[in-house]
Amino acid sequence: MTGAPVFRSRRSWGANKVRLDMRRRLLGVLCAGLFGCASPSVETTADVGAGLASQASAGAGAGERPDAAPDASYAPYQDKTAFNAAYRRLTESQYRNVIADMFADAVQINARFEPEMREDGLQAIGNRRLSITTSGLEQYYSVARSIAEQVVTNKARDALIGCGADPEAQAAADCATAFIKGRGQQLFRRPLSAPEIEGFVAVWDKARTETGDFDTGVQHALVAMLMSPDFLFRVEAAEPDPAKPGAHRFDAYTIASRLSFVLWDGPPDAALLRAAANGELHDEEGLAAEVERMLASPKLERGVRAFFTDMMQFEAFDTLTKDSLTYPKFSQAVADSAREETLRFLVDHLVARDRDYREVFTSRDTFLNRTLAAVYDVPYASAEPWSRHTFDKDSERSGVLTQVTFLSLFSHPGSSSPTVRGVRLHDIFLCVATPDPPPDVDFSKVQALENGTVRARLIDHMSNTGCSTCHMISDPAGLALEHFDGLGQYRLLENGEVIDVSASIGGQTFSGAQGLGDYLSGHPLVPACLVRKVHAYSVGRTTATDEYALLAKQQEAFAGAGYRMKALYRTILTHPNFLTVRPPEGVPAGPGTTHADTSTRPAASGGGQ
Amino acid sequence: MKLPFAKAAGLALLMAAAHGAASAEWTRTWAIEWYEPAHYYGAETGIIDPGTDCPKGTNPEPDWIGVLKKAGYTEQEALWLRDPSHPYRVPNHGQNQMAFRGEGRANVYVHPELAADPGMQGVTGTIGEGLDLDGDKTNGFVSVDGKTTGIDNQFYRTMGCWKYFRGPPRLSYNAESRNDEMREGRWTVLIVASGEGDDPMNDDKVRVGFYDSTDKLVKDGNGDIATGYTFRIQPHARFEAILEAKTVDGVIVSTSPTKEIWLRDPSYARELQLLQAQLQLTMKDDGSLSGILAGYRPWKRLYQGMVEARGSVIEQLTWAELPGVWNALKRGADYSPDGANGEKTHISFALKIDAVRAYVMTPDASRKVSGVRSYKSEAPPMGPSLHAFFSNRFRVTDGLVPDSDGVILAGPDAPILPPTVTGAELRARLKASAKGAD
Repeated sequence: MTGAPVFRSRRSWGANKVRLDMRRRLLGVLCAGLFGCASPSVETTADVGAGLASQASAGAGAGERPDAAPDASYAPYQDKTAFNAAYRRLTESQYRNVIADMFADAVQINARFEPEMREDGLQAIGNRRLSITTSGLEQYYSVARSIAEQVVTNKARDALIGCGADPEAQAAADCATAFIKGRGQQLFRRPLSAPEIEGFVAVWDKARTETGDFDTGVQHALVAMLMSPDFLFRVEAAEPDPAKPGAHRFDAYTIASRLSFVLWDGPPDAALLRAAANGELHDEEGLAAEVERMLASPKLERGVRAFFTDMMQFEAFDTLTKDSLTYPKFSQAVADSAREETLRFLVDHLVARDRDYREVFTSRDTFLNRTLAAVYDVPYASAEPWSRHTFDKDSERSGVLTQVTFLSLFSHPGSSSPTVRGVRLHDIFLCVATPDPPPDVDFSKVQALENGTVRARLIDHMSNTGCSTCHMISDPAGLALEHFDGLGQYRLLENGEVIDVSASIGGQTFSGAQGLGDYLSGHPLVPACLVRKVHAYSVGRTTATDEYALLAKQQEAFAGAGYRMKALYRTILTHPNFLTVRPPEGVPAGPGTTHADTSTRPAASGGGQ
Repeated sequence: MKLPFAKAAGLALLMAAAHGAASAEWTRTWAIEWYEPAHYYGAETGIIDPGTDCPKGTNPEPDWIGVLKKAGYTEQEALWLRDPSHPYRVPNHGQNQMAFRGEGRANVYVHPELAADPGMQGVTGTIGEGLDLDGDKTNGFVSVDGKTTGIDNQFYRTMGCWKYFRGPPRLSYNAESRNDEMREGRWTVLIVASGEGDDPMNDDKVRVGFYDSTDKLVKDGNGDIATGYTFRIQPHARFEAILEAKTVDGVIVSTSPTKEIWLRDPSYARELQLLQAQLQLTMKDDGSLSGILAGYRPWKRLYQGMVEARGSVIEQLTWAELPGVWNALKRGADYSPDGANGEKTHISFALKIDAVRAYVMTPDASRKVSGVRSYKSEAPPMGPSLHAFFSNRFRVTDGLVPDSDGVILAGPDAPILPPTVTGAELRARLKASAKGAD
């Protein structure tokens, strides 16, 4: 086999073409990097490259669907109408979790990853548009080599690889093949196809032959798998739906990956792959059983953390700075602790205690460490690194909006910002977007920090009619949080003047953070927005107009379940909509196959402001 | 709307109350963020300049070549020993040999009494900081504001012109280096004050406790010690001090001397014993605490700390001959405790303290402390003393540091000059070095 065109049996269409090119490029770089494919003297290597290419395409050869057993080889796309509906680049946490699930503590990853892209409020939507840059490829290659080296040099090497370092020839081939099949399945979240296995074994064999070292071969094979697009991207494969002639459905392994990356932010475990192989995920009861099992798993914490890290835009922590003269207590330790506090709080509230989502705006419970306790100015009553804490009622703390995370992330380096806080609150928790300010706005009045309170400064600023429309919406909520400075520390005065935290939104008047928390906990947009974000996060795309009615029903179900997060996952992940294939633009849809809709978001149902 | 001051103050009080301030019994807590010997710097500029305390400025660096020659070394030997850049030099040789300049080349660090007293210029000014320990208003220093007389601080009078201790607040060599250690987390000292009355600012029955903690101080973004951090009391068999006091307009003052207290010392002595201890600490509006803790400290232990920190290094860094320090302390000592048979084993001393507001918890961290009491009964047995610990850490014996192979290349009879280098060569090298420095 020569350098056969990658994906040659796949249907080519516009949206995927760029990715296909990128995959060819990636494989070419990998091939050249490992073996110097350009050299005419490496004929075998060309075969290896072709093997890699074919494993990626997996469409040229005929074969059975691998539904019989989890270790059967994989052979999708034998039907000419099969296609890949989406490629989603693994996020950093997903990459790390895949490796952690495979090798536990044996492998450490010290590397930078390419930034994510946020689209329509979520990185989970943006990452289906992400490719890999040249420098990103270098980083992945560096990480892959590091992982492979750690595996073969680890104390538990034999267990990680499956045999000793110097097996006999046949045993070596058997061990390498078993390693590639086993680890490959973990990496690709599906069994490898026969050409894929053949290709990676060829990589192992060539490296081992050239160096005379079994482990070098293993290293090269593992690097090749780690550099494969089928590892770096979540490839969502669609296959003809036998129940609906002409329509498509996700293949079972895609469903398994969808479930595991939503609920666990990581790869499917063996049981889930087994369920996929057995066809249980295409069965309503089987799917529900797996979802239940996954909801009961400790790994659910990872999934919830990943979702809220995305929803609450925690990537802003990466660039968070504060003026040390204004906020001397701010440090990287504070930033890291704040992020952890919010995630611990959400996991505890929504998963461990399975409480009402709306209470995240009113709860005075949280988790602190010694660093955060100093920022909140409360004693840290524990000898452990973290402990549960309940704020006093007169602390004015009220849920997630009064945690250091929200208050510091959405402020300026040297001051609080009712506007920024209000805009982000609407965006994150109400799914209401605020347009960017016009380019010629005069901010001088509002930025005169030495003058009075920010409320007065904003009123001056809003004398500009071009600004007032948006500020009327965004600012009241932010002004209610003004008893907390730009780091989240409690205060009553600004420049010696009493801070007024009264607010009026949509005809409702309240005061302070606790008033705001009560207002939000009763606001119908709050749970509606969460439903929409969990749905979009799960399906990895913006909600389509034809899904509005469905979302309304899911919102009702969420309410009916007492606004419990686990119930929401259950509702969304077991609904046929979660399994509905929406091919990229340009791909003809069969009956029952819905086209992706990139129209603007719907207004979350359930009232406005 | 600008608030009138009274209203703003009222709000501040409300805010304080909301965050757990006074009740009928009150407790306030702090962590020491800086403490150093209370030495008034009488100059208006610099750190060694002449001033009212030391009209000639900080005592100058001794002529070490002259010191060695006076001790019987030849000039060639002295030049060799004082040439740190010589390529043939064994690193510790020169420094260790500095010890052997007493009578019969005795180790002057261990036996300072066997060396001639080189003398040490003390403070001649009249202004000083500290407390009136002996109740005699006619002796001692006058406070900076001129309102208090009889301040007993013989330690300042004796050591106040020495570079080791002299300088503006927070800038003397000793203060900087030892407080840096503390602020980097080596140790933490907590202060707890509690009273029985309704008004913490004016209470006749107040107790003040000083405690150890293993929780580290934390620096803020400006390098200052951050306020509002939590510290657990670490019961310690030695480092605990409890003093009886009262508050007058927010100033905590001792009602009677405490016979003996122990603290971690911000000096090479590492341990501070104070006899007849008294304090005067001001609770400030911003929640911090500042003031003086004073008493009589054993001067030989302080001297020993410098020897254990490697005598010759201390001498060179701080510009003093240790025998001079020993003799000055001996001359300046002004207190003889019971059992000392009249010998002045202690010298009046004052420690200037700055502390930040902190939360102080019981040893198990379960709750805030609510009063001052002893935790010594909960302390583990004493390990080696701190000075022994540090001495071992630096591998110092009798003020000397062995080479890595354990050998001390110095002594009364140690060969001084290497055979391959002549005095002329050394002199030429030193001259060239001096020219280069110009």
